[in-house]
Amino acid sequence: MTRTRKPGVSRRATLAMMGAGAVTFAAPWVARAQAKTIKVGMPTILSGRVAQLGTSSRNGVMLEIEKVNAAGGLAGRQIEMVIRDSKGQPQEAARVARELVNTDGCEILIDAEASSGAFAVHEVARDLGVLCLHTNSETSALTADPKQHIPNAFRTARQGVHDSIVGGSYAAAIAKAKGLKKWATCSPDYAYGRDTTGEYVTYLKRFAPDIEIISESWPKLFQPDYTEVVTKILQAKPQALYSCLWGGDLTSYIDQANIYALFSQMEVFAVNMADYTALTVVKNLPKGIHSGNRYIKTYPATPENAAWGDAYKAKYNEYPTNWSWENATAIMLLAEASKKANSADGKKIAEALRGLKIKSPFGADGTVTMRAEDQTLVGYAIGWGTTIPQEPYVPQVQAGDWKTIFELEAEWKKSKGYT
Amino acid sequence: MTELQAEQAAAVPQPEAGLQRSRYFDVLIALAAFAVLAILPMLTGSKALLDFVIRCSAFGLFATSLNLLVGYTGLVSFGHGMFFGLGAYGFGLIMQRTGVPVPVAFVATLVITTIIAAVIGAICVRLKEIYFAFVTLAFQMLIHSTILSWVSLTGGDQGLRGGIPRPAFFGIDLSNHVHLYIASCALLVIGLLLMRQIAQSPFGYTLRMIRDNANRASFVGIDVWRAKLTIFVLAALFASTGGIIMALFVSGAYPEFAYWTISGEGIFINMLGGVTTFLGPMVGTVLLLILNDTVTRLTEYYGIVLGIVILFFAIGLRKGLMDFVVEWYTQRRNGPVE
Repeated sequence: MTRTRKPGVSRRATLAMMGAGAVTFAAPWVARAQAKTIKVGMPTILSGRVAQLGTSSRNGVMLEIEKVNAAGGLAGRQIEMVIRDSKGQPQEAARVARELVNTDGCEILIDAEASSGAFAVHEVARDLGVLCLHTNSETSALTADPKQHIPNAFRTARQGVHDSIVGGSYAAAIAKAKGLKKWATCSPDYAYGRDTTGEYVTYLKRFAPDIEIISESWPKLFQPDYTEVVTKILQAKPQALYSCLWGGDLTSYIDQANIYALFSQMEVFAVNMADYTALTVVKNLPKGIHSGNRYIKTYPATPENAAWGDAYKAKYNEYPTNWSWENATAIMLLAEASKKANSADGKKIAEALRGLKIKSPFGADGTVTMRAEDQTLVGYAIGWGTTIPQEPYVPQVQAGDWKTIFELEAEWKKSKGYT
Repeated sequence: MTELQAEQAAAVPQPEAGLQRSRYFDVLIALAAFAVLAILPMLTGSKALLDFVIRCSAFGLFATSLNLLVGYTGLVSFGHGMFFGLGAYGFGLIMQRTGVPVPVAFVATLVITTIIAAVIGAICVRLKEIYFAFVTLAFQMLIHSTILSWVSLTGGDQGLRGGIPRPAFFGIDLSNHVHLYIASCALLVIGLLLMRQIAQSPFGYTLRMIRDNANRASFVGIDVWRAKLTIFVLAALFASTGGIIMALFVSGAYPEFAYWTISGEGIFINMLGGVTTFLGPMVGTVLLLILNDTVTRLTEYYGIVLGIVILFFAIGLRKGLMDFVVEWYTQRRNGPVE
């Protein structure tokens, strides 16, 4: 009798593999945290098109964690970060967040998710009651809408409406000075692009009522070719252009628009330009693009901020991003709140966080504040300036005025029915 | 009579009585499975395990319903994820906007799914093979784009925010983790049982006939279009139920639920588990989720690991796991190949 060997994997090998699979699967349920360290979970995006969001968030966090741990940790407990990829899918973000708390024993969540993922993690925080710091979502509704409000969730990131107020007032001043009346917009076609552009135009018109929008373009997110958009704008002959394209989209747009010499024909306002992810990638950075600051080590122009940017560069061999400072701020606030509460307990830290003001390299006046009423970050450095093709890229940044921001923000909240 | 002959004799279907007996058998297995799942929370305090089973229920219903189309009818749908998304959004929106009891919202979601699936199906099932696949994909993208752009209703790409309210009904409180777990298991078991009955019914055999030779089916007097449309709508209902479970699990609905990647995941689960056995997709679901959870825990290079696994199944086994197991088992029983 001859036994023919069927192609494929042998029974033994299959059983061995199944066994190995079962062991790796069971292990997490067995493993338990050591009591002394405190685990902090962080779901973020580490793969795919916006993987840089996750990696630069992680870098920002780890840079600060080292300092906090060296200084004794949270109320004497060393922090152990558990960072996991959600692949940018909200249901994965929710699952990972739940797993971090329920299985890995994380007592605090740093939610470094973008857009919809942040709302998914927010629901997990609502469900489990765990202290959660949103570090990347800039969607205003996350903290402004009272329906979203939960006592254990905070935001340590920028907020869309703040950017629009500062950007609108800055642009209006230039529009008046230079007589820019005809405007065009060009922003990515999704909620962030539409909302941010809408709010920006609202405030632009509020400060300079006689301007008009003569052309709108909505390229797709991650669109590779912008030729039709560029030619459409050139044909409309506007005096100024607003765009909230970001990252790779913004750099490809600029590279392609350069071919048509678009930047010499109109004033360009690109809110997301002044971030190293865009500044260092563009081939020929045009002079004189107006941009909001995202992260730039020369603004605020303080030794603390420059030192932070350099330390980050030294450690990771690249400049920090907007996400880096937002995540670093979360750890700084955590450490300070824990010191104030003299505890590593989530509820006590949350109590201490409300209204907490800390020294920060990223503060407009050297401090940032966790506003008590809606648990979101205020007082961070926010301003606009124009680009030059080499470092420091944006030499003069005109600071936004937080008093104006607060006034208009309150008005905006009322108009949305939030207060 | 040799063992082989006996085996073949037993395999000859004995119409009424056999069908009846296998139905009782299915119900028994379902009850046993539900009992095992239901006592799980008493044996382990692991919430992650319960989460895992809830997600298995959502994706299992989705993948098995896709197999009704792919494996039983030969309709390779690339757009089945739209019904998953539809279930999640339909249920989430009804609960958020109207505040009706959960069972009412559940039924209403299924009614909405039926109507939409009937309209889309009526257009799609006329087409064959790749044309069918692409038109279903096109409808999926249409629904996905609608969700993205109808911001006032769906919240656009931020999804349905603010959580899904879930008032208690008949003493069942779905905001309680264990209650949600039991409810998901119940839906899964009932769903699988119903789908099994569909697959084993005369209608199920009609579908297999259409898959193997649609022309012959129409010559013996079967209305092929109607049969295809019926199974398209039925499959959509189970996919929608999967979406409802997922919406309850994440307490929201997100446009990614209706994106083509969900359909792709469904197809992949079917490849992984195998399409020739009824439980293949369920096994595939468990495999994929285990793979997903362990790999993302260990590395951020999830894609590369998943790619290798796909290659292993596509080139190494050339079939799904359950197909492989069943084949191996029958071969073993029939003795070594001479």
